[in-house]
Amino acid sequence: MVGLPARGKTYIAQKVCRYLTWLGINTKVFNVGNYRRKLAGAHVPHTFFDPANPEGEKSRKEAAAEALADMMRWFEEDEGIVAIYDATNSTKTRRAWLQESLNKKDIQVLFIESICQDEEVILNNIRDVKLSSPDYADIDPDQAAEDFRARIDHYQEQYETITEEGLTYIKLINVGSQVIINLIKGYLESRIVYYLMNLHIAPRKIYMSRHGESVFNVEGKIGGDSPLSPRGEMYASRLPDLIRQNLGDQNLTIWTSTMKRTIQTASLLPHPTKKQWKALEELDAGVCDGMTYEEIAEKYPEDYANRDEDKFNYRYRGGESYRDVVLRLEPVIMELERHQNILIIGHQAILRCIYAYFMNYSHEDLPYIKIPLHTVIELTPKAYGCDEKRFKVDIEAVDTHRPKPTRAASIRKRASTNLASKAPGHLTLPNPAGASGEIVYDPMSPILPLTSPKLTSRPSLAVVPALKDPKSTPSPPAVASLTGEVVNLQLNDKGQ
Amino acid sequence: MAARLYVTDSGRYVHSHPFTPSHLQPLILHPRYFHAGAIAIITVGLPARGKTHVSRSLCRYLRWLGVPTKVFSVGNYRRQRLGTMPNDFFSPANEDTKEQRLLIAEACLKDMIEWLEKGGQVGIYDASNTTDERRAWIQRKLKEHDIQTLFIESICNKQEIIDSNIRSVKISSPDYVGWDPEAAVRDFKNRIENHLPYYKTIRDPELPFVKLMNVGEQLIVNNVKGYLQSRIVYYLMHLHIQPRIIYFARIPESLNESSYKADADLSPVGHKQAEALKTFIVNYRQQQLDMGIEEKLRPLTVWGSTRKHASQAVRHFAEDDILVRALPLLTERNPGECDGLTPQQIKLNDGCHFVQAKFPEEFTKSQQDPYNHRYPRAESYHDLAVRLEACIMELEREKNDVLIIGHDSVLRCLYAYLFDRPDDEIPSIHIPRNYLIQIKPSAYGCRETRLEIQMEEESDEDDQL
Repeated sequence: MVGLPARGKTYIAQKVCRYLTWLGINTKVFNVGNYRRKLAGAHVPHTFFDPANPEGEKSRKEAAAEALADMMRWFEEDEGIVAIYDATNSTKTRRAWLQESLNKKDIQVLFIESICQDEEVILNNIRDVKLSSPDYADIDPDQAAEDFRARIDHYQEQYETITEEGLTYIKLINVGSQVIINLIKGYLESRIVYYLMNLHIAPRKIYMSRHGESVFNVEGKIGGDSPLSPRGEMYASRLPDLIRQNLGDQNLTIWTSTMKRTIQTASLLPHPTKKQWKALEELDAGVCDGMTYEEIAEKYPEDYANRDEDKFNYRYRGGESYRDVVLRLEPVIMELERHQNILIIGHQAILRCIYAYFMNYSHEDLPYIKIPLHTVIELTPKAYGCDEKRFKVDIEAVDTHRPKPTRAASIRKRASTNLASKAPGHLTLPNPAGASGEIVYDPMSPILPLTSPKLTSRPSLAVVPALKDPKSTPSPPAVASLTGEVVNLQLNDKGQ
Repeated sequence: MAARLYVTDSGRYVHSHPFTPSHLQPLILHPRYFHAGAIAIITVGLPARGKTHVSRSLCRYLRWLGVPTKVFSVGNYRRQRLGTMPNDFFSPANEDTKEQRLLIAEACLKDMIEWLEKGGQVGIYDASNTTDERRAWIQRKLKEHDIQTLFIESICNKQEIIDSNIRSVKISSPDYVGWDPEAAVRDFKNRIENHLPYYKTIRDPELPFVKLMNVGEQLIVNNVKGYLQSRIVYYLMHLHIQPRIIYFARIPESLNESSYKADADLSPVGHKQAEALKTFIVNYRQQQLDMGIEEKLRPLTVWGSTRKHASQAVRHFAEDDILVRALPLLTERNPGECDGLTPQQIKLNDGCHFVQAKFPEEFTKSQQDPYNHRYPRAESYHDLAVRLEACIMELEREKNDVLIIGHDSVLRCLYAYLFDRPDDEIPSIHIPRNYLIQIKPSAYGCRETRLEIQMEEESDEDDQL
């Protein structure tokens, strides 16, 4: 990140981190401010940030170095792919230092500069975010604001916008009214850039609801394309009032899947903009479609057990896994970020994935998120996350939630043994690649930037994101994927 | 035409087909897509900066998205009206030809406005538009007609890119038929020189514009709002003009060709086919290099889906250290409730009775609109095309050679994008088995070669579902 204080750097860093993590890319933010607070304490006056103050300068540099060292360690030890280095990095010298240190480790760098000349946006940011920071705990707000302005001025003295040739960067000027994109190379970088271009900060609300109770819900069957049950129809008839009470006459876009039960649920809503998305279709249970869980347990006992073992990565025979669904939903998330008020009438697995994106749930917990029938969830995006409200409509419905079995805790361990068991120097082909009916575990990122045929399986990116230079480790070919899983070609990558 | 995402009713009543005389067709509500209204894209830049490449590619992409798009090339208008002209005709300093040039530009713009008012959505005005006055004039004209503008300026400060553009595109233009190539290059460079003193890059921060530096090296995006506009920018981020080759091949035969849910393994024949394909493409590429048709051997990446038969086919390549990737997006069209019907069953009784017996109405609908029709719980070709969009972006970005081993439904959609084929043709595009389709993209479109791979045994025909 590059930019003066209160330009939304941390906001951007957190958003990008959440988006990439949701996609299954191991991402972490390294906030230099936190290191500085650890080293120098929380309460430092603005003079600490004065470039003429040698002591402050020294300890700020120390914090920056420590954060960077931690970040490098994370890349190596925790198989990190994208690290976001959240600091002002406002001088050419500082950026050259970062670029050089990271390139030495074959990590590619993408600078994201946030420039804002709109005083109002800056003031709002100071008020909403900065004054509640630990730096200003127990300090009078007006005094704190003044101190913070002085801090910005210190940075301003030295600030140099990115003009260096040869750097990969994106500049976001005045919340996206102008964007400058320079030397973007890989697919992952272009994805991040497009994501940033789609972000907006206008206030809005996101509503989601499952379809009303369906006939299959009542019968305990999964999948299918059954119509609503009588209770489900009642829910559909109550929905317009509920929305009106909360949103008034504001504009609202409604998205459904192409299935009967979601279209039926939305049918009574008066809003003119309704869109059916194929991508919002319920998780495809393949051969198990139309069965009850008992039938599945009986007919495919192994599959049933596998699914409990790792519900996120389990792919139904001839169907999909939660991981597949996340990737299928990626364009939907892009669209969601662009939109203002929206109501999604969806399915259990789909809403779990979307909810997990906004509320930052891990892949392990995602398939167990509670999204009950006959409940509207309202999310209001805020600076660092979302406020949530749930409106339960007083109409009975069956409970379709299956709690997480206790032994699912072993997943992590199992996965890491998998990785470790590969013979060094040997390319193993786990069987069968991309299998359905099994846990298709993906130890790598779903979107791998592919810059060279000699790419190793796990490139890294730091934001200042960075991509591992593939040339460093001669390695066997990887089966990697655009938005998909690696089809399990385990490599003799470093660390194995 | 393919991946239409939004149809809004913010359009107006117009004639459904802009090229049919209006008295021959009824008035219908013509939907505008993506909440966007009519948009004019105005190219800006000196000659040989890749404006035509950008215009053509963008046009192809937008049409594939389902947006009625058309390029209005001032150069073509000029050639149609005046034929080829001596070089001083183009000099902005030449007062004698100024009026003529203005008249042609005006006629072209007028036609574009008319076309947009008749229901076109994106008009691309392909001309150099290098001066502030010209751009202001265009902006004013379009505003009078309530048409939004987006300027795309192509800038190039690397002489080698310009030179290669002149050599590969310009001297094959109709203006230089019968010229000695070297003389044509000199003449064209002169034409550029003439423009140079009058060229002003866009500076007005109020204008919505995109500046493309050295074909994708740097992009400046200013004041660009709107959904369709952001898609255009994202697309431009992926464009490049380096030579490369895209190959298509069908997935070899699996043990169960008729069922999607079965997710079957490759058959023994399929494994042979995969091996034959690998040998063929490796030898073919080497041969092209030896014969001097290709200057160098770019690395090859093989893309397949995550389905079993596809990933098993792709594995034959991985074993030979060829880079392979598995993209779930490349999964074949989901047949929904028609799963399990073999082509043979459909062929029986004049081809269609099995489906017809089960879904008589559905069958009729599918015959009427094979591209958009969706069998119960199935994906239509249109659904598939929407899903493949991310893949197309990735394909545009790719600078190395790519072999896509895909199901015929997938290859049909990708093919339609590359060759700008209308959507109603997509379901019947012929992608035979045991063929390698070689596609070379260029500024004016793609060129295709189909190469037969000799196999010992013949395998079954296309499945038509």
